[in-house]
Amino acid sequence: MAHVVLKDLVKTYGGFKAVNEVSLTVNDGEFVALVGPSGCGKTTTLNLIAGLIPITSGDIVIGDQVVNDLDPKDRDIAMVFQNYALYPQKSVYMNLAFPLQMRKLPKAEIDKKVREAARVLDMTQLLERKPRELSGGQQQRVALGRALVRDPAVFLMDEPLSNLDAKLRVQMRSEIKRFHQDLKATIVYVTHDQLEAVTMADRMAVMNGGYLQQYDSPAQVFAHPANMFVASFVGSPAMSLIPLEASTANGDTVLKSAEGWSLQLSQRNARKAQSATTRKIVLGARHSTIKLHKSAVPGAIPAKAYTVEPTGDVTFVQALLSGAIVNISVSPNIAVKPDEQIWLEFDQERMHLFDGETEMALEAA
Amino acid sequence: MSTIAETPPRGQAPRRMRIDGWRWGGRIFLVFMLLYTALPMAWMLITSIKSGFAAMQFPPQWWPDQPTLASYQKLLDPQNSVGQDFLRFFWNSLFVSTATTVLSVIVAVPAAYAFSRFTFPGRNFLFFTVLLRNMFPAVIFLVPLFILMRAIGLVNTHGSLVLTYLTFGLPLAIWLLKGFYDNIPVQLEQAARIDGATRFQAFILIVMPLSTPGIIATAIYSFIGAWNEYIYAYTFLSKNEQLTLPVGIQRFFSENTTDFPGLMAASFMMSVPVVVLFLVLQRYFVRALTEGAVKH
Repeated sequence: MAHVVLKDLVKTYGGFKAVNEVSLTVNDGEFVALVGPSGCGKTTTLNLIAGLIPITSGDIVIGDQVVNDLDPKDRDIAMVFQNYALYPQKSVYMNLAFPLQMRKLPKAEIDKKVREAARVLDMTQLLERKPRELSGGQQQRVALGRALVRDPAVFLMDEPLSNLDAKLRVQMRSEIKRFHQDLKATIVYVTHDQLEAVTMADRMAVMNGGYLQQYDSPAQVFAHPANMFVASFVGSPAMSLIPLEASTANGDTVLKSAEGWSLQLSQRNARKAQSATTRKIVLGARHSTIKLHKSAVPGAIPAKAYTVEPTGDVTFVQALLSGAIVNISVSPNIAVKPDEQIWLEFDQERMHLFDGETEMALEAA
Repeated sequence: MSTIAETPPRGQAPRRMRIDGWRWGGRIFLVFMLLYTALPMAWMLITSIKSGFAAMQFPPQWWPDQPTLASYQKLLDPQNSVGQDFLRFFWNSLFVSTATTVLSVIVAVPAAYAFSRFTFPGRNFLFFTVLLRNMFPAVIFLVPLFILMRAIGLVNTHGSLVLTYLTFGLPLAIWLLKGFYDNIPVQLEQAARIDGATRFQAFILIVMPLSTPGIIATAIYSFIGAWNEYIYAYTFLSKNEQLTLPVGIQRFFSENTTDFPGLMAASFMMSVPVVVLFLVLQRYFVRALTEGAVKH
């Protein structure tokens, strides 16, 4: 196993910057998820690490070696592809054996390792089949087996679960997590699904527009999103973002809405708001931190229920507030009807404030 | 319950009749087409086992009274001059066609792969020029190519034919193979390269086996094209010992009055390699032409 370091990594296609000065370190044995919407540069970053496309500038270090100009085969990596990329003309056995044959291992050793990998992944009985005779989950497992049979320094995984159906995805998710725990493997895992990143990774690198937005543990990213993009991307349903305007009157800082209501800020939040470069402040709140009242309460803001989505153990209410959609989760025994007048109370301790211009999270000075 | 299902609603009856009408029309058409293509070949075969006299009779003998393999024996006998000529023509054709086939596969495989996988300056332009050649009738190039071949001293060599046939066969070969490579996911090669293969090994070990049907189809296509070609062989070659089968047969038999059984036996033997090749490999050929249409 080995660590991976990306230093000021840049990839441009003509004038288009697909990856923009991305720097991050993946520690030995760490599971890192690259996550972001499609086109954010996460797969390009992975392909750069793999050496499948040449880098424009920057450095990639695997182990203690700068691998910028090395062929993929010399980087001691293994990769699991979204479409599995199993060799269709080869049996499962030969698929697993291929990386070992390429490294010119003796036949007996290849056989031993292939059977060992098959045993670990519980597919000994599938060894003679061709990939097209396997189910999606089995193909996925073979792809995983082909990666681990060689004991590489780093595992790269490119959306390995996105071709599976929902139920199998959850199952394979825990299998991959288990696989990481057992092998203490260094894994770089690309996904567009923030839930996969949050549930599996030790650290997640959130990317957007070719830039690394935030790189931290899922808990930290969830609790302290660095900017509005991360705030809205991580977590489901998404964090509600309400554009407001800060103003100070006789010592108190309030956030004013164009709709006329205002929200008084706690001292800590007031200091945050004062650190902004502009008067425009965006209030961020997760669904679980907003309290819904069916009658007026001091400090609560009047709103109208927009849609109501019962999911069984929790009901999500969407309300329109200052032109933004606000998600609130309530207990299913609270009956809310669409267009009903409601009052929303924000938790000062758990709310997020963002600079309306730079979109960065505001910190108390 | 079943009675309801078995009795079609009244409105449907005439429509079913009409569909049957079309179906029978189609069948009759197919039978007609079959006879149209098969009968000449059958007649060729029947004539080839007649004696010279029987072949000229009218009304014709539908089946020869005294079938004989004399024509075949004469053609395949290296002792007499007819047999010597025929066998030489046969080998000439085999040489020209095989050389064309081998070269066109050697050129088309990397060319198609490059067109499919790489972006390089002039890619679209080059691909279009590859096709451009096929937009003109072959005869247009007859005189210019002859002048060209004379200038570079290739007239009266088999090389002139191989070169010419390559220019005919390559465009389609490259097209066909490019379609094949387009359908092979690039991730397979990437996986192979990560698994320890060089780019070239990934191509040879993973991509090539997957494109075998396309390569075989390409090979058959070039071979048949070269084997059957007449007008260029007729123009570029004048020495008797160099002639290929189509020209050779035509010239040879017009000189020796018209020996119809001999001509038909020669024609039949000329079709044998192509038919055998096609029968053996048709599985791949059909797959090559339909691949991509329904894959994934």
